[in-house]
Amino acid sequence: MASSSSSAGKASEVGARRGKTRAGTQANGRIGSVSAPYLLILPAILFAFWIIGYPIYDMANMSVHAVNRFGKTTAFNDFANYQRLFSHQLFLGCLIRTLVWTVFVVGGTVILSVPIALVLNEKFYGRTLARIIIMLPWAVSLTMTGIVWRWSLNGQFGMVNATLSSFGLQDTPVEWLATAGTAFPILIAIGILVSIPFTVTVILGGLSSLQADIFEAAKIDGASGWQRFRYLTLPLIRPFLNIVLVLNFIYVFNSFPLIWVMTQGDPANSTDILVTWLYKLAFRYGELGIASALSIVMFLILLALTITYAALAMRHERREI
Amino acid sequence: MEHPVRKSLLMWLCLSPLMLVILFPFAVMVSTAVKPRLEVLSYPPHWLPSEIRLQNFADMWEATRLGPAVLNSVLVSIAATILCLLVAIPAAYASARMEFTGKRLFRQFLLVTQMLSPIVLVLGIFRLMARMGLVDQLPALVLAYVAFNLAFSVWMLQAYFQTIPKELEEAAKLDGASALQRLQRIFLPLALPAIGITAVFVFIYCWNEFVLAMTLLRSPENNTLTFQTFSLVGGRYQVEWDHVMAATLVASGPVAVIFALLQRSLVSGLTVGAVK
Repeated sequence: MASSSSSAGKASEVGARRGKTRAGTQANGRIGSVSAPYLLILPAILFAFWIIGYPIYDMANMSVHAVNRFGKTTAFNDFANYQRLFSHQLFLGCLIRTLVWTVFVVGGTVILSVPIALVLNEKFYGRTLARIIIMLPWAVSLTMTGIVWRWSLNGQFGMVNATLSSFGLQDTPVEWLATAGTAFPILIAIGILVSIPFTVTVILGGLSSLQADIFEAAKIDGASGWQRFRYLTLPLIRPFLNIVLVLNFIYVFNSFPLIWVMTQGDPANSTDILVTWLYKLAFRYGELGIASALSIVMFLILLALTITYAALAMRHERREI
Repeated sequence: MEHPVRKSLLMWLCLSPLMLVILFPFAVMVSTAVKPRLEVLSYPPHWLPSEIRLQNFADMWEATRLGPAVLNSVLVSIAATILCLLVAIPAAYASARMEFTGKRLFRQFLLVTQMLSPIVLVLGIFRLMARMGLVDQLPALVLAYVAFNLAFSVWMLQAYFQTIPKELEEAAKLDGASALQRLQRIFLPLALPAIGITAVFVFIYCWNEFVLAMTLLRSPENNTLTFQTFSLVGGRYQVEWDHVMAATLVASGPVAVIFALLQRSLVSGLTVGAVK
């Protein structure tokens, strides 16, 4: 879509340039219309530079200078903040957990969302109700979700233990969030749960764009249900899957409230990922130099992902034309 | 053809595990919120309370000072939504309807800002707001929320605007309507549903936002609903879970209902925005 409109744009520019030589009035008319789009996008650009651009600049600046607790920057310090970040005893653990967190949440979300979307794409009684229920976690904030699950997973009074033991699935109550072995997997499971609505929505959008007749034709030719899924559905919704993968990767990588509300990275940093550690560095330990270096590292990772996304989205657009 | 009732049962059976996990926290919220306090902290816990205590909500409202928090959330969310639309609509109009050099760059710039979550920038934003003297001020949240929703809003709106046929405006132009008249009488009325959907998404984002509220607000009377509810849980020795669950119900109930009612149009709107 973008490429088609930009080529149309080039055509109209060429047309206008020709018109300019022909008639002066037309050229005058164009001056207003040339500046108009810039005036219209200017407030948006200013806003983004002010609230998003300036903080990035400020943190980049802090990250290469010595910074005291109060945020006063002094001398350029030869990337010492970055060295301290990379050699910090918690850095590697947080980085690995961030990768595990992101890969498992995104992978789990997409693997579960494809069959869910396939089911919701079928016509059946109560489909609207089913869709509403599945979209519900999207409307509730991650903070509230985290608070409610934290209470549900309470070792003594939580309904998770009560429910499991009433079905005879568990003998002794488990302190789910205070046990290092269970806290992180539980967080991942809830991370998947809250990522499903958005993912299902986009995949459903992809499924509804498919034409029914090729599936009919494949059926007549004797392709089994699995074959139709494997060789028709999956390749055709591929662009949607790519977009969902990258977007989820970015959202989950940045995901803060769920972990903060449920465990704050505890027990013993065993559920800390980069974003929760970043918050602690900046606002609990006053390590502003390391925190800003970490922010910049994360910004660069996200930038790389964004470029991947842009490339995928563009490829999708080209295919559409 | 398969029997429709049998098929429906099968579909619901497939979805039931997920449904249970999704509805579980809502059940916990309702169950805990209406229990007498003694039963909240009794072992083993039971789903059904001995009596339904709606008085809990009134007690909670008093004890947790939720009223001012609700008001703050409403004010911040509405202000941010309006300001965001005022900035995003012209930008979306320009990138949907006009040709200009650097349009691609503008779109890519938006994409980059869309990828940034507040948490990555929270330190820089805190310093910026401190420098402007806006820490512990609600306008700081409004400004930050606008910035973080701009990209999404421009993206969604321009995807919609492109689906409104240009010919209508061109015809009006031939009939002698001025640019402003065309905008007022033709374009904006047609774009209204899209603007409404975008507004709902921005509003929900602001209503639910956590990191910036936690960082930029200081005094309890300025707290938004999300942060106030969290502060009932975070860093406390004894948590009054019946109050907390009543508060989460108040905080998420209305948004969940709005979302459920508008679900169809929100979802179709987002697919236009996300994929195009």
